[in-house]
Amino acid sequence: MDPLLSVRDLKVEFDTRHGRVTALAGISLDVMPGETLGIVGESGCGKSITALAMMGLIPNPPGHLTDGQIVFEGEDITRASPRRMRQLRGRDISMIFQEPMTSLNPVFTAGDQIAEAIMLHQDVSKKEAWEEAVELLRVVGIPEPRRRAASYPHEMSGGMRQRVMIAMAISCRPKVLIADEPTTALDVTVQAQIFDLMRDIQEKFGVAIVMITHDMGAIAEMADRVAVMYAGRVIEQGRADDILDDPRHPYTSGLIGCIPALGREAASAERLPPLAEIPGVVPPLHLLGAGCAFADRCPLVHDRCRRERPPLAPHGMAAQEFLGGHAVACHAAEREIAA
Amino acid sequence: MSFDGHPSAGPSGAAPLAEQPLLEAVGLSVRFPMPKKSPFADRDYLHAVRGVNFKVHAGRTLGVVGESGSGKTTTAMAAVRLTEAYDGAVMFEGRDVLKMGPEALRKQRRDMQVIFQDPYSSLNPRDRVGAIVREPLDLMDVGERKDRADRVKELFSLVGLRPDQMALFPHQFSGGQRQRISIARALATNPKLIVCDEPVSALDVAIQAQVLNLLRRLQDQFGLSYLFISHDLGVVQFICDDIAVMYLGEIVEYADRPTLFAAPRHPYTAALLDAAPSLARRKSAGYSRAGAVKGDPPSPMNLPKGCAFAGRCPRAQPRCKDEKPMLRPLEGAKVACHFPLEG
Repeated sequence: MDPLLSVRDLKVEFDTRHGRVTALAGISLDVMPGETLGIVGESGCGKSITALAMMGLIPNPPGHLTDGQIVFEGEDITRASPRRMRQLRGRDISMIFQEPMTSLNPVFTAGDQIAEAIMLHQDVSKKEAWEEAVELLRVVGIPEPRRRAASYPHEMSGGMRQRVMIAMAISCRPKVLIADEPTTALDVTVQAQIFDLMRDIQEKFGVAIVMITHDMGAIAEMADRVAVMYAGRVIEQGRADDILDDPRHPYTSGLIGCIPALGREAASAERLPPLAEIPGVVPPLHLLGAGCAFADRCPLVHDRCRRERPPLAPHGMAAQEFLGGHAVACHAAEREIAA
Repeated sequence: MSFDGHPSAGPSGAAPLAEQPLLEAVGLSVRFPMPKKSPFADRDYLHAVRGVNFKVHAGRTLGVVGESGSGKTTTAMAAVRLTEAYDGAVMFEGRDVLKMGPEALRKQRRDMQVIFQDPYSSLNPRDRVGAIVREPLDLMDVGERKDRADRVKELFSLVGLRPDQMALFPHQFSGGQRQRISIARALATNPKLIVCDEPVSALDVAIQAQVLNLLRRLQDQFGLSYLFISHDLGVVQFICDDIAVMYLGEIVEYADRPTLFAAPRHPYTAALLDAAPSLARRKSAGYSRAGAVKGDPPSPMNLPKGCAFAGRCPRAQPRCKDEKPMLRPLEGAKVACHFPLEG
């Protein structure tokens, strides 16, 4: 099966007061039809920039897409005209954002905003678009959809607003839905509802989802495959179960280890042991050296790590070949595999 | 194991229980006035916290957990009088904090400090961080003036910062480091109680682990008590000895950590646990939630007559809508539910 969306050696730079900084240092990803790819990492790792690049929404200036390709159904969209991007965006590739409060227009009703998205891409009358909007609100589980279509965003709860965002995003039956931290602003019971809804929608419409998150728990629940990012690079990639059960990069295992255990399994009378820590902080992007960006925080660091950056595809595999497999950018992990 | 006497601390690693709690809230209530609908209308109030009772014991951590709007932060702020309560009592070592005059309260604050949620807005951007940590020492006149610089240095080392960073400004630090500065400031006066209001929720998970471990180390070192506010059950399970679960301004379940997490009794607690993402729930295994809670909490301006959770509860019966369940003891816990879950 061919990937629906392929990112190849994508490089994005930003002009900052520290000069030009590399936000994405050549990343490669594949999104297969109907799957969920999780992109996980801490703040500043480049995960949201990756999402924006897939939408053709890197702000320029200060951002520059300097190298690489994003191929959607055979077309390199990094070279697409603004007009062509407007066609694709919202119709074939759509996005839901982190903050449903600020990404909806406060002076239009939910129904208006969904209908606008429909009329932009489909040849329908205002009335038909409105009816479709009501239907979409029903699909995303909003009670009394006809009444709610006439509501303004401020009259809705955060969860309901995120449902409206999802309704808008799926209004043209996109092939790829990019969700950038879709539940970070929501309470945990509402987050659970939104996750359930996203899985339902994937099943119903077969849409591929790219889920950007900092939460490994969300990855476990939502993703088929995972890319772990650190300082502008993908440092580990593979099936979600492989990554979660058998992480190879010390950063990935650190991220998993520092999550507090929850529930009955950890309900001992004993105090829980200290959390595993990753010492230090993510280095500022303008201070990255030639070696592995994680070297200063890594328990397995050795000389070579500081001199030479480990590539993601060890053993000379091309990106295409490790799709479905498990790839890691780490000298120590490579030694382990060779041994 | 009686709850009022407190479940035994035993092997939890936490401090053994003293006779008297360090801090005890009795019937604590907070309401906020709402704008009048007309000049002649009666004023409406939003009852944010309604008659909660809890105890923080010396050397232990009480977690208050709930979703946004549950009143957990308001409860904690009222307990240290950063928000005024309109009813109830907060006894700190036997004296009612709510009845203290301004001078007594100012002295009392030496013993009760706060770490706020947002490390970006809780540090004055114009002050050097050394001055920020020193300020409580000067304000509350702690120790000799000449020793204070050394004390600030010591505090910096305690929280894992370098003393040479004292001359920097808050914006020169990362979120995690700023939260360490907040912790140093809270520790400055050698308090007995620190209110931690979501101290790690603005931090990345790797940094969160560092700060949580630090908070626990400091608790062991200085015998601190924490009143720990969080929406994250994993964090609460890691750091808290006792837990109060709040929903719409009331405590719906109150138990020690092993009891609560081994067998949540209130359907809302169970729903929170069920909703929290966990590494064990895999898409590959076709994970789906059985008892997912529907909808949003009702508005605190318009509370139902019966149980506030009844409208979302998978176990609700007609009785729940008519009759409000009171918090009552149940096998080592306290639960406000007519039909609690099996233990």
